[in-house]
Amino acid sequence: MLRNVLLKTLRDYRRSLLWWGIGLAAYTTIELLFYPSFRDFPGLNDMVRQFPKELMALFAGDVASFFSPEGFLRAQLFFLFVPLLFIVFAAAFGSGAIAGEEARGTLDLLLAHPIARWQVVLHKFGAMALSTLALGGIFWLALAATTVAVGMEVSPWRLAQATLSVVLLALAFGSIALALGCATGNRSLSLGLTAAPALGAYLLNALAPVVEALQPYQKLSPFYWYIGSDPLVQGLDPLHVASLLGLALGALALGLIAFERRDVAV
Amino acid sequence: MTLALEARGLTKHYGKSRGVEALDLQVQPGEVFGFLGPNGAGKTTTIRLALDLIRPTRGAVQVLGLDARRDAVQVHRRVGYLPGELALYDNLTGGELLRYLANLRGGVAWPYVEELAERLGCSFTQRIATLSTGNRHKVGLVQAFMHRPELLILDEPTVGLDPLVQQVFHQLVAEVKAEGRTVFLSSHNLAEVERVCDRVGIIREGRLVAVERVEALKARALRRLEIHFASPVPRDAFIGLPGVRDVQVHDAVVRCAVTGSVDAVIKAAACFEVVDIVSHEPNLEEVFLAYYSGDASHVA
Repeated sequence: MLRNVLLKTLRDYRRSLLWWGIGLAAYTTIELLFYPSFRDFPGLNDMVRQFPKELMALFAGDVASFFSPEGFLRAQLFFLFVPLLFIVFAAAFGSGAIAGEEARGTLDLLLAHPIARWQVVLHKFGAMALSTLALGGIFWLALAATTVAVGMEVSPWRLAQATLSVVLLALAFGSIALALGCATGNRSLSLGLTAAPALGAYLLNALAPVVEALQPYQKLSPFYWYIGSDPLVQGLDPLHVASLLGLALGALALGLIAFERRDVAV
Repeated sequence: MTLALEARGLTKHYGKSRGVEALDLQVQPGEVFGFLGPNGAGKTTTIRLALDLIRPTRGAVQVLGLDARRDAVQVHRRVGYLPGELALYDNLTGGELLRYLANLRGGVAWPYVEELAERLGCSFTQRIATLSTGNRHKVGLVQAFMHRPELLILDEPTVGLDPLVQQVFHQLVAEVKAEGRTVFLSSHNLAEVERVCDRVGIIREGRLVAVERVEALKARALRRLEIHFASPVPRDAFIGLPGVRDVQVHDAVVRCAVTGSVDAVIKAAACFEVVDIVSHEPNLEEVFLAYYSGDASHVA
């Protein structure tokens, strides 16, 4: 595990990844165990329909099909909570990738070795991508197992696609955090500067259906690319996947350029 | 012959404060070059410029004939570096860290790593987080030497090392020199530089003020002597001796400053009964003052 920067970085995150995986799997399982009682609770459907639609839009998205397996999964997991957790995971990883080593002072020694700066950044990006993907894998396993256990009829293949969509969304923001860390060398600043657009993107996508002024811009939101085509039902939309990947790689490229040009702090 | 390190007009400004200013420096292959100056004089800045960790405002550095910036990866392959503010991966053991760094270099001869570690008394099995500063420093030294680099760039290599380990370090430097490899080390300790170096560059406030062979530096170095006698001695006996200044006589104690050889003072003192001699290593400011008294034009 100490063969190169990528593997070493994965090794550093193995415990963190384990706990994130356990937490996420536990939350997913508990959430889904409530599904049968939700579905069978008389009158709940009408109650949900009476909630202000703005409020529902903000936290759960379109709830027209709240009691279908896919509708429940989307409202309870995929609309807000799961992407939020994945983004926090990836952005924390990304912001620390370069800026964290810089703050601890180990970057000096690392960069004095025969490895180019751009290689270090690519290795760190690779480690972030693989970790986020691994977290996605754990999440998917928990989802697939629990949906079968509680008798939700939902395709594991569609679950995998929706999970991949979450991973890509997280990677986009993780890349932004990584790039900001590359450019500024300041971990908390990078994390903060990533949180703001992530929140903005979420609100834009969530509120556009109920706020007319936002409607024309909804398709600019990475959250829309993530969930707008309803991957749980429709599968992945190639254009949206490409947009998320493009955002991730674009940010990565800017980070590479910025890091190549600047001084490393002591 | 290709120079081990060459700076030409090297200038680095940080915002408004000055790092180094128009530095010209040549380090010959096979020599041990000491870079001497007080803290904050620009030693670390120069070293980090040579390793492409920071970029010059003006000028350039060549390392082993390669451009520090353009050929950074090649330079790093052939250089061993000990950072001044040494930070290592706390979550690894010493052995794991050295394995990792060796892997980044595409592998090194492991028996030599073990030999270095044994000689320095460096632990492979303890987590770095649990090591004392001195023991971390040993790990830092091993990683700098382990791939037998053509050029060693060591920023304050002996700070925090106990005297026995310092001795091992001096042996290692001598071995490197015997193999025709080059050492560039920075220090704020004149005595250490005198002990291990062939030539010394003195840096002050970002400017290189002199480059001298160590013998020449010693010949001009200023030392403060305090001689205690059994009974009061006449002041006249110590006035006008070659290289002796600032003579103060209080009863049986003589204090003076000596530049170069102390022979004349010792011979003068030998006429009386000497109880004790105390010699103070000059601090750097005194060296600079001694060095440039009467030649102020050199001082930046």
